[in-house]
Amino acid sequence: MLPEIGHFALILALMATALQVVLPGVGLWRGNFALTQLSRPLLWMQFFWIAVSFALLMNAFLVDDFSVKYVASNSNTQLPSLFKMSAVWGAHEGSLLLWALILSAWSVAVSIFSKRLPSEVLNHILIILGLISIGFLLFLLLTSNPFERLDIVPVQGRELNPLLQDFGLIIHPPMLYMGYVGMAIPFAFVLSSLIRGQLDSTWLRWSRPWTLIAWAFLTFGITLGSWWAYYELGWGGWWFWDPVENASFMPWLVATALVHSLSVSEKRGAFKHWTVLLAISGFSLSLLGTFLVRSGILTSVHSFAADPDRGLFILVFLVIVVGGSLGLYAWRAHLMRSNHQFAPFSRESGLLINNILLVAAMLSVFLGTLYPLLLDSLGLGKISVGAPYFDAVFIPIMIPAVLAMAVGAFLRWKKDSISRVVDAIIHIVFVVFTLTLITFLAMGDDSNIFVLLAIFLFAWIVLHSSLLLVQRLRQKGKPNMAFLGMIVAHIGIAVFLLGATVTTQYGVEKDIKMSLNETVEIEGYAFTFRGVEGLNGANYTGNKGVIDVAYQGEKIATLRPEKRQYVTGMPMTEAAIDPSLYRDIYVALGESLGEGAWSLRLYYKPLIRWIWLGGLFIVFGALLAAFDRRYRLKVRTGV
Amino acid sequence: MNFYLWVALMLFVSALWLIWFLYRPLKANTFNLEKSNIALGRQKQAELKQDLQADLIDEQAFKQANDEIAQTLAMEMEHTIGVTASTQKNIPLWLPVLIVVFLASASWGVYQSLTSQSIVSAKSETAPTLTQSISKIRQHVAERPDDAEAWRMLGLALFEFNDVKKSLEAYQRSYELEPKNIAMLVEYASTLASAQNNQFTGRVSTLVREALEIDENAPDALYLAGWVAVNAQQLGLAQKLWQKALSLLPEGQPDKAILQQMLGKLSQVQGGTKSTPSQEEPASKLQVTIKVALSDRLRQAEFSDHYLMIYVKAARGRPMPIAIQKIKLKDFTGVVTLTDANSVMPSKKLSQSSKVLGVARLSKSGSAMRQAGDIEALSQVIDVRDNPTIELLLK
Repeated sequence: MLPEIGHFALILALMATALQVVLPGVGLWRGNFALTQLSRPLLWMQFFWIAVSFALLMNAFLVDDFSVKYVASNSNTQLPSLFKMSAVWGAHEGSLLLWALILSAWSVAVSIFSKRLPSEVLNHILIILGLISIGFLLFLLLTSNPFERLDIVPVQGRELNPLLQDFGLIIHPPMLYMGYVGMAIPFAFVLSSLIRGQLDSTWLRWSRPWTLIAWAFLTFGITLGSWWAYYELGWGGWWFWDPVENASFMPWLVATALVHSLSVSEKRGAFKHWTVLLAISGFSLSLLGTFLVRSGILTSVHSFAADPDRGLFILVFLVIVVGGSLGLYAWRAHLMRSNHQFAPFSRESGLLINNILLVAAMLSVFLGTLYPLLLDSLGLGKISVGAPYFDAVFIPIMIPAVLAMAVGAFLRWKKDSISRVVDAIIHIVFVVFTLTLITFLAMGDDSNIFVLLAIFLFAWIVLHSSLLLVQRLRQKGKPNMAFLGMIVAHIGIAVFLLGATVTTQYGVEKDIKMSLNETVEIEGYAFTFRGVEGLNGANYTGNKGVIDVAYQGEKIATLRPEKRQYVTGMPMTEAAIDPSLYRDIYVALGESLGEGAWSLRLYYKPLIRWIWLGGLFIVFGALLAAFDRRYRLKVRTGV
Repeated sequence: MNFYLWVALMLFVSALWLIWFLYRPLKANTFNLEKSNIALGRQKQAELKQDLQADLIDEQAFKQANDEIAQTLAMEMEHTIGVTASTQKNIPLWLPVLIVVFLASASWGVYQSLTSQSIVSAKSETAPTLTQSISKIRQHVAERPDDAEAWRMLGLALFEFNDVKKSLEAYQRSYELEPKNIAMLVEYASTLASAQNNQFTGRVSTLVREALEIDENAPDALYLAGWVAVNAQQLGLAQKLWQKALSLLPEGQPDKAILQQMLGKLSQVQGGTKSTPSQEEPASKLQVTIKVALSDRLRQAEFSDHYLMIYVKAARGRPMPIAIQKIKLKDFTGVVTLTDANSVMPSKKLSQSSKVLGVARLSKSGSAMRQAGDIEALSQVIDVRDNPTIELLLK
């Protein structure tokens, strides 16, 4: 009965959302205060019923209710309770329910923390968010009911994909969804303004903190995903330019551009066209990512045809959202005229270049991700677009963006002179070039052009940011949180960039056969294979290798990589890692080769932690900026 | 508390929540858009001054930017639409009633329409067509290939569908997954015997033995073991096995009568003893008339040498024909009447059956087993005691 209650709760949530759109809509139209003010209670009701539905689905997993098809397909009695809980979002239906729950939670947060937003604006925004919720709730109920019962109840369920039985899965999807769904908030702010015909300071000011928080979550979600892929997939990689990764990276690039564009629009009233289009594109790309992942089209364009209902629903939803919002944009474009003027060499121009480069980078990823799918679906053959394409196209676009990023913060608003900026940063340029030259000479024969470039860019960003911080600290008054957030986020980019380049260029990987007590040396680290032990987990058995790692004759770690065989028969590799800020030692156990010998993959990964550290810096920077004092000021105190 | 009470409670809580906030609306934020834009304009001017102090803008540009902020504010004021929804109006009684009725009826209506598909399928579960059942079970085993019981059900369904080859494959899969299931072992053995023209030898006897090893008092397994013994000419053993099965079957069980008849026949064969008049069956007048119509395509000469097999089989249970006529198509007159004289087994005559299915099958080879390319038509379930006449169309 509980699954039926969960299903009915979902329907009640849909009805509450329908009323959330209709009643305040009528209230705004007819000037009825009571109806207008129903938007928040109805939203809370929607959230409550979705939460009930979600809790009941989780309960079905916890009590092993295999009469529910989704539970039977993604869980079994041997699955540890923690993974039973995370299995709720381990496949399509549950992750869509999580989508709806997070969207509802975001909307509730907007309804509670927007006390400085005029009620009529807030009610408009909640109506738009309600319309988006209706789309997702209908999608759930019509094509992806997580409470569907089985006619024949199995005594045992299947298995949650062992790849997903990991701490990373517990937090990676919710964080990523927080980012994806968070992009609905600036979208709703923009759409509300377009519908009302009031593209004013209010929506620009109050949509910015939400955008920053959504961007922080998106960054955190992507960073977690990269970290999870690194330690869980057993390949030692951190980014594969996989279409699913790209699906999350495209909205991130647009959100990054939006955060910068909003800062200009908010402070100077310029770039409103950019801001509106970026807000629309950010959410549209989030929906596109959902469409790509959830339609099955990424596995094969034919899997879309195998389950056309789901794919078509999202596609139609996407067309309505993109088409409708672009139509609104065209209708209201005349209201976005700006009286703001700025010189070609100014902070505004710098931010404009930043936006153009970020959008160009997004388009390069978009093309590389969708072009093969388009060709395949048109029957024009299969092509594979991988890392070589993205490295060749994406990186050259981002190098000038990174260079400009550091210098842009030194530019004055409206107009500036090249000589003034050169005077301000010339000594940094000199130091950066000197550092790079010294590094080049120190490297000798090991010098690597990519690493030199990364060191140059790292020094470029860090020194510029540090100088900026010192200058600001010397001035009267404390620097604001938004400024500190910018500095931290920019340093995060530098940290990421150096980590990614060094680990890619200087990382060492060996796929070898090791006999008992055999030692192999990589970059001064001696790996000694001490044999294999048996392994018995809650829902798997397998082998655990024992590898001693020594550096300069001193043992520094004993690594125990695992090769698991899950009850469903799926094999899994669990790498063992000795982490540090400077390098990771990574070992993955392969197959038994007889006579006590095993195949092993040994990796030396210098500075790989910097990749995720950089991501965390960006998240921290975004949160600092989002909680800037001026977003907490009451309107009257700002007067 | 049952589901309907839960639904009622959920609707009640929702309606109460809604009506509460309809009559006690939340307070609006105390400022409107105009005030908000004015305040933000001033805040921007203050921030601009900070930018000037931080050397982020020069003096001349500062003045220009300051003017622009003022101009922007003026434009925003021009476009600001007056607040229309700030006054409290009386709520007419019909409005909450309408909202509650909508909430309840729409929620329940949507739930009913969304679950009707599964209700339809649940209804069809009670009397599904064989094809539907097979398709459903196939879908299930595709999703859960390790479900031995589902494989057994698929084997049974395919057996009833006369696809003995596939049925045996399904049973074999079930056997591999769960070899200790007596019901499966008995059905598997029975199907295998059917595929061997009712020869209870070889693997069949192995399966029956495995079933008896699990439970030596399983009547079905004892029944089959009796047939294994008959095949091996061990009539005494067969008699013992069937007698044991007979003693284990509960009173009133239909199979009991069949076993008694078989034991009688066995006694006749063994001792040449004639049954008493009271045990003799009266000559039955029960019959099934089957009219078979052929499509134009099948009337063509190329099919004239094909065999037409017209038979009845039990509606539930083993799919071997109870009574059959096999005719070359060129000799077929369009109608066939099946009587006890056409019964396949003396122990299971047509007149001893009740619920059966009529089948017409056109086969090039004339093989008892259904072959690829055979064309078949099945009737609805009929009762032999009605002396029914059925019509089948072969296309």
